[in-house]
Amino acid sequence: MKLELKNIQKSFGEKEVLKGISITAVSGRAFGLLGRNGAGKTTTIRILMNVFGAESGDIFIDGSRIDYAKVGIGYLPEERGLYPKKKIIDQLTYFAQLHGMKRPDAVKSIDYWLDRLEMAEYRNKRLDTLSKGNQQKIQLVTALAHNPDIVILDEPFSGLDPVNAMILKDVVKEEIANGKIVLFSSHQMNYIEEFCDSIAILNSGTIVLQGDIHEIKHNYVRDKLVVRSDQADAIAQSLGSCCFRTNDRELMVRLKTAEDKRKVMQQLTEAYDIDEIGVFEPSLNDIFVEYAKDQY
Amino acid sequence: MKQFGTIFKFELKSYLKNKIFVGVTVFLVAAIAVVMFFPNIREAFADKESETSESREIDGVMLLSTGGVENADVFRQSFAEAFAGYEVLLSEEEPDVIKEKVVSGEAECAFVLDSPTSYTYYVNNLSMYDMNTGTADEILKTMYGFNAMVNGGMTSEEAGGVLGVQIEHETESLGKDQMQNFFYTYIMIFALYMVILLYGQMVATNVATEKSSRAMELLITSAKPVSMMFGKVIASCLAGFLQILAVFGSAILFYNINQAQWEGNVIVASVFDMPLNLLVYMLIFFVLGFLIYAFMFGAIGSMASKLEDINTSVMPVTLLFVAGFIVVMMSMSSGDVDSLLMRICSYVPFTSPMAMFTRIAMSTVPLYEVVISIVVLIGGAVGIGIVSAKIYRVGVLLYGTTPKLGSIIKAMRNA
Repeated sequence: MKLELKNIQKSFGEKEVLKGISITAVSGRAFGLLGRNGAGKTTTIRILMNVFGAESGDIFIDGSRIDYAKVGIGYLPEERGLYPKKKIIDQLTYFAQLHGMKRPDAVKSIDYWLDRLEMAEYRNKRLDTLSKGNQQKIQLVTALAHNPDIVILDEPFSGLDPVNAMILKDVVKEEIANGKIVLFSSHQMNYIEEFCDSIAILNSGTIVLQGDIHEIKHNYVRDKLVVRSDQADAIAQSLGSCCFRTNDRELMVRLKTAEDKRKVMQQLTEAYDIDEIGVFEPSLNDIFVEYAKDQY
Repeated sequence: MKQFGTIFKFELKSYLKNKIFVGVTVFLVAAIAVVMFFPNIREAFADKESETSESREIDGVMLLSTGGVENADVFRQSFAEAFAGYEVLLSEEEPDVIKEKVVSGEAECAFVLDSPTSYTYYVNNLSMYDMNTGTADEILKTMYGFNAMVNGGMTSEEAGGVLGVQIEHETESLGKDQMQNFFYTYIMIFALYMVILLYGQMVATNVATEKSSRAMELLITSAKPVSMMFGKVIASCLAGFLQILAVFGSAILFYNINQAQWEGNVIVASVFDMPLNLLVYMLIFFVLGFLIYAFMFGAIGSMASKLEDINTSVMPVTLLFVAGFIVVMMSMSSGDVDSLLMRICSYVPFTSPMAMFTRIAMSTVPLYEVVISIVVLIGGAVGIGIVSAKIYRVGVLLYGTTPKLGSIIKAMRNA
């Protein structure tokens, strides 16, 4: 299955929130939707979920305009919340039925997920008797119980302890392996790097970077060297303004062009006692900061 | 439609499982039971009392000073007959002594007759409902007339016959008898008022709770706003209707069990003698009126970000409803239920459920007027339902301070 958002444009009053964005996600792969607060991620998700329409642009599934009666979407919102005073099984069944499931099927699926997330013992308890992390796991069931084709997870790991984060990681991997389109929205770049094959960075309603995460990293201009040495001071002095210290023993050297890297590496290894030298590989965090920093 | 059914069932179940809802219903039914079985209860106690004491209960002593008139005994006898609740005693003491006795509580009240046509009435605290002077006036008038006739040559039998003549009359109401209809109309209007305000508030709180607990984030992405609004409102309407049914049903049941005991009570008998067609009208106006207000309350609930905001946010709608209620109640009290204001109110959807129902119950309204009112009301309910669902869709996504009406309309256009 292939999900395409094409030229989505949306304004609220005077403010143009989305300026014709296009993204593509395919089943069996996780897609990371990144952006700073207010970049337009939630608006994109809401348009995708048909909470409100876009002013222009369309959403396609396998080339045809999306039919919400046929495509199931599961959503874990960033703003968590269910009915605090109601029994867990009752509200989970309610949400599964709202997504079109029959009651017996809903109960069966919910029982599976409660068991899978180690929450079966809380089945008949009220939600407000659970800890925050456990409430979040219950909320995850609402996103998965109706076996959706597209799973949208907005900051899924926030508030989870390492053990629960591990359980959630396994579940996400299973969903990806089961051929679901998984859409991630998070500020925790380590999780995005771990799960997502492709990303899109939104900045002020525009996609500023999109593509396969490995290709993005690989294509990143390789014009910086990372050098670790006990003689970091001497190296810094000799190279002047083109290098800056990252810590006591480490510095970053900015090259004039990427082609200079071999020559500079050779010069440095010959002149100084170098422990480690290599081309700087940016983390997703570095890429995100670079592309999202100019918002507003 | 399927979503509507799911939401409707979920919401209705929430009401029926709500301990306060169940508690209030049980309390009301119990209160009705106590009221309807009251004659039996009183009789049971009265039996016991009559076994222990056979003396007649009296309000107190009434002193009668007849210094200024003749035939003191005849006056005393007439007063004793007219004031059955008092022990009437003749007194020849001075007015000051009589006053002291009244103030000290030795006597409940006193009449000092200065002449056959004038007297002074002494009472310690004059009750709002004290009708004693009126009764005394009647006695003196009769006595005066009687004496005049006897002095004029009539025998005392003839004079007694003239004064005691009985007038027969018959009233035939060709339309509605307001006296008879007043009480059940009053009860129905009051029930309508209570249920609409209580349940309207519940709908608003319910929506605002979902919004403030952020369950709305999930709901709005799982169901259509129209299904949500109609599901919620119609469920609360049915819950309110079930509660009314429980209260009124039990009242009718208890009345039928105790019918013999209540036969003498005109008010109670008139309440339970309500014509069936009026019940049908009650149902129509209840449902439509409820829907209109519940939709508005739901839309307001969707705009509130915090539960604390609800009370102030619903104020304009509540005031609108209360204003309608006051107009109807005042018209009912004055008896002029077909006044121009009531006629206008009976076509305006916000007031017609109460106004038109009152007019139907207490006056004669042409059928076409009723039909127009109901059609306008249905149109109003559907229209307000749709607009409310639109406001709801926009309102539930707006957090922070309660949005102004202008920004809601703008957001509705953009959504």
